[in-house]
Amino acid sequence: MTDLSFTEEQRDCLQELINVAMGLASDKLARFLNTFVHLQVPAIGLVNAAEIPEQFRGQYQGQNSSMISLGFFGDGGLRGETILLYQLDNAGNIAALLGYDDDAASEAEMLTDISSILTTTFLNGLAEQLDNSFSYAAPRIISSRDSDFISKLEQTAFHWQLALKVDIRYELTDHSFDCNMILLIPGEAVLKLKTILDHVLAEF
Amino acid sequence: MALTALICDDSLLARNQMKKSLPAAFDAEIVTATNGMEALEVLRGQEIGVVFLDLTMPELDGVGVLEAIKAEKMDVFVIVVSADIQPEMQKRVMDLGALAFIQKPVNTDKLSAVMRQYGLI
Repeated sequence: MTDLSFTEEQRDCLQELINVAMGLASDKLARFLNTFVHLQVPAIGLVNAAEIPEQFRGQYQGQNSSMISLGFFGDGGLRGETILLYQLDNAGNIAALLGYDDDAASEAEMLTDISSILTTTFLNGLAEQLDNSFSYAAPRIISSRDSDFISKLEQTAFHWQLALKVDIRYELTDHSFDCNMILLIPGEAVLKLKTILDHVLAEF
Repeated sequence: MALTALICDDSLLARNQMKKSLPAAFDAEIVTATNGMEALEVLRGQEIGVVFLDLTMPELDGVGVLEAIKAEKMDVFVIVVSADIQPEMQKRVMDLGALAFIQKPVNTDKLSAVMRQYGLI
């Protein structure tokens, strides 16, 4: 069996590259919302992706959450998916701040806008540091209020067996709004990523 | 006597990038710390001329280090080297007494310019 696990140097390297990408994304969000985004050190780990829908059901079903998933495809087989998770109960004041109307269509529009700022900026920043370039699939919105929440979740990246999972939390201190971003990279792309990280490490 | 510089960052890659980005003309002994608590121990234990300080770190972050440096009136130059480039963060660290803010990944020309400005090279 191929070893997908990271050496400590590779994990450290990925974490630092993610830090820089997070910094770019949060700066853009901060300027867009004219507020401050509190950043934390991201958590990185290998997970069995098949278990994630069940975890999400435990965490989010019955709650008022939305997720936006965005697939990305890079050179050399590097690919993955980001999932941005929002708790909608506190999204109203952000919507008001940005001048969106208080209805479902505007909510979707706002979440798509925030998602595009956070995930696209993040992924472009990551790609640049990896000397790669990503193209993107159309974003998909999944709401925990949907009756087929779980089956929709299962159509996302979670059919991958083993995946690298990165949890990033963007917290807007002024507006009690936070969102979590999960970056999932499937097994074979993790091997590619490890090779790229080794190249980055060799430069320093 | 050459001065001692402290590089404080939780990432080994970032510490190595920082060391490699320092201008050749910078005559200093380099010590490192992997979080804010360690940095304060080093700062309290020996004379440090300049700190290259990351912000997003476990244990104690860079803002916490700057607050302690200010509270304890430590005589040290602080150059913040961070990926958290939000305008409010840059203002916050400058208000706490940082000399300069350098965006990660470090641009060596910008770093040299700042260090020349403060007589470090």
